[in-house]
Order: sequence, then structure tokens, then C-alpha cells
Amino acid sequence: MGFIDTDIHERVSYEQLLPYLEQPWRRYITDCHWMQEKHMPYTQPAVAGVDRADAQLPDGRPAGSDLGFMQEQLLDSNGHEYGILTGALDPSPSSMHGWYEMATALASAYNDWQIEHWLEKDSRLYGSVHIAAQDPAAAVQEIERVGDHPKMVQILLPIDDILWGDPFYHPIFEAAEKHQLMIGMHHNEPPIYYGKWPRYFIEWHTLIPTAHMNQVTNMIFSGVFEKFPGLKLMMIEGGFTYVPFLMRKMDQQYTDLRHEVPWVKRMPSDTIRDHLCFTTQPLEELKKWELLQIIEQMGSDQIISFSTDYPHWDYDSPERALPPRLDEALKRKLFSENARQFYPKLRRGGKTDGKSSRSYG
Amino acid sequence: MEKVVAHTDDLAPGEMMEAEFDGRPVVICRASDGDFHAFTNLCPHQGAPLSKGQLCGAPEPTDEIGTYNYKNEGNILRCPWHGREFNIKDSGRMLANERQKLREYKLSVEELSVADGNIILYK
Ligand code: FES
Repeated sequence: MGFIDTDIHERVSYEQLLPYLEQPWRRYITDCHWMQEKHMPYTQPAVAGVDRADAQLPDGRPAGSDLGFMQEQLLDSNGHEYGILTGALDPSPSSMHGWYEMATALASAYNDWQIEHWLEKDSRLYGSVHIAAQDPAAAVQEIERVGDHPKMVQILLPIDDILWGDPFYHPIFEAAEKHQLMIGMHHNEPPIYYGKWPRYFIEWHTLIPTAHMNQVTNMIFSGVFEKFPGLKLMMIEGGFTYVPFLMRKMDQQYTDLRHEVPWVKRMPSDTIRDHLCFTTQPLEELKKWELLQIIEQMGSDQIISFSTDYPHWDYDSPERALPPRLDEALKRKLFSENARQFYPKLRRGGKTDGKSSRSYG
Repeated sequence: MEKVVAHTDDLAPGEMMEAEFDGRPVVICRASDGDFHAFTNLCPHQGAPLSKGQLCGAPEPTDEIGTYNYKNEGNILRCPWHGREFNIKDSGRMLANERQKLREYKLSVEELSVADGNIILYK
């Protein structure tokens, strides 16, 4: 059985981006020591910060920064068929609270680096288009530039303090649809505590799914999927156990309050089943019957896709994270078929559809 | 069966190393008091290699909200992945859930000299 891992974090250093940056952007890093703003008041309090302690490189470089090491520790040892790269949120151009020009330059540099050092070096790895979404026109230009790359499968949008369903951002979805790119949303610094931070990391980490719920609710009631019927949304690293609740709540609200959002024409739970997919990690420890019950309540076994979140500390093992003795047919869906159905470019195995013969990077 | 898995001078207090016994991976830990303890080297949660984690201390449970009493330096084995804590001086018991323990191996030390000895696992 092939295994498609829908969340792998490759890591860049700012220094590695320099060759892909024009001036003046380069000198803001080399001379002026630009660093991406970060707001979390705590560290990720695992043995080695945000990373698995055994994923740090022997030479001291951070986890996720070396393809060879990742191949050995993750891709070869787990028998990955494909892995989807989602970046390490540093830089996270769409999360910058200003200076969108710099963000746009960083996004392009990141995409070129990702294509050259990962996508074109290992046939199993697929990528995410990084953009500076705060400037939709510039974001569309970047999608036009690299979106046809046969191994770019989605556009990455961070979940922090912008709700992306707003019509202001719809040009991004239009460009995504045009290039057969899906949207992948991954939290960065979600303001789950009234716009600020809870007192403890354990609270923030417990409540990440609430930030995901904000985005799902916003995308659906903004009518994004009626307007872009070819678009799909992968919710990454929020798990899926919240989905049965959200489906029922949204359906009930829609039944009562449809008149406020008359552009929404379907029951939200149907839209979720047709347009969304949820990566598994970080999995709660579920018994088999609990997992099956949640799937039944979702009304579909086709909208969950296994992810490891390698190399982060809350990595889920493909062998150990799900309850034992699941049916083979269900395992095949969770571990590969659902992701393959979700991403059109994966179905083509990274080959172009014949429309494009450009070179990238 | 029994097997020499390490030497006492391989480990200082607060250090650990991986070894193999009866075809299985084990982690040999040296506690802060100098004693040796051996456990299965697979975390009971998702199977991470515990020897890649850390022997450290941990804040002990307290009734005082906002107070951190960091204790047991060198005796708490923290998993390299999700960071679960196991007390090697308390049969490998998990701090957050007393009902779970690491599998502990029987161990003896055979003195060879003042500075060195054989660490022997047996069953
Ligand atoms: S594998 Fe050890 S805490 Fe999860």
C-alpha cells in the first residue's frame, strides 16, 4: 500500500534564500538582519523545541533542513509513496503584518528554493506554492509564475489573523482553480484567545482546532465553494475530530439564518464533504470504535488523510498513531486514496497535463 | 539468559545509552544517585526511541498555582517526540498517568575494578 503523507515541514534558513532574492531584499537580511516577526510568548516545550529530538541533524543544523536525512529517517523508512511539503512557517509571507513587497519577494524566493532543492531532487516530494496573500494581485502573479509546476499541488495560506474567505482574496482562489491547485491551510499563530495568547502553551496547542473552525466557517459562509466549484481546501494539522460538531452546528445555523448569506446554496455539511479534507495529525489517542464513530458522523470516509507532521515534536507515526486492526480498505483510504483523490496533480504522478513545458527555479 | 550490555564508566549520572538485549532495543540510564536502570527503548505511546530523548528533571505536582518546583534532575526520562515523562527511579512510571510504566529490565552490576564494572541484564 502506498503512503501519501500530507504534511511534511521542510526548513529553509534565510541564508539559503539569498541567491533567490534580488536587491534590495537581500540586503535587508544580510545587512539589516531582517527576521520574521513572531509573537508566541512561550517556546514549544518539548525536548528539542518545535522538533522531534531525534530529527535534529548530527552537525547541528535544524530538523527538516536536509533532504538526505529526511529521506533516511522519514521517506525510506516509512515507505512513502508521496509527501507534501508545507514549509516551516518561517518565512511565512502571508503572515507578515506589513511590508507586503518584502513578503512577495520572500514567497518567490521560497518557491524557487523549494523547487530546486526538494521537488526536483526527490520524485516523491510535492510542494505548496507560497504567496503573500495580503496583496492578492502580487499573489496571483506568483501563482501564474510557478502554479503550473507539475509538482506544486496547493497554495499555502496560514491560519492566523486573516479570514481568507473575504471576497478581497478571491482572485487567489480564481488563480488556484485555473492551475488545478488546491488550497492548503495550516495554522501559524492563531489568535485563539480573543486575539491574544492564552497564558500557557498547553492551552494554545489544545485549541488549535478552534482556529481551523474559524476558517472553515468563514470560507463556507463566504460562498467560496459556490463561486469556485473546482476548488478544494485541505485543513492541515488541526485534526478532524471537531468536524462532526461543526457540520451539525453549521447545518442548523444555515437552516435558520440562510437569508443572511443567500449566496450559500447548499447545506454546509455537504460542502464540507465535497470540498474539504482534513489531515489527521495531531491525533488524539482513539479507540477503534471511537474513530469509526467519528467517521460515521462525518458521513464520509473520504475526507481524512494521514499526515505525520515530520519533523515536529508532535509527529504521528504511520504505524502507531491510529488504532490497531482497522480494515484494509479504510486504511487504504486514509493513508493514500483520499489524498490522491484530493490533489489532481498527484493523480497524474507529477507529470504535466501537456499544457505546460516551462522550466522553473 | 544474561548479557553484558555496557560498562559502568560508559555513563555518568544523568546520561543514557541504547543497547540491545534478547533481540530488543533497551535504554540504559544512569540516575543522579549513580544507580543504573534499564527499560525498553520504545515509548509506549507511539514507539519513539527513548534514548534519543533526555534525562532531565521535572516540576513536581504542587497545590500552589503558578509555582514551579523543578526536582529530580537526571531521573526523568522525556520522550524525544511528544515529551511524555517517565521517572526512572519509580519503575519508569509516567508522571501524567501513574497507571502507565515503561517495561523495566532486571539489571546487576559486576565490579571489575574501582572505576569500572559490567552492567548485566538478565531474565
Ligand atoms: S512516542 Fe513517546 S510520547 Fe509519544
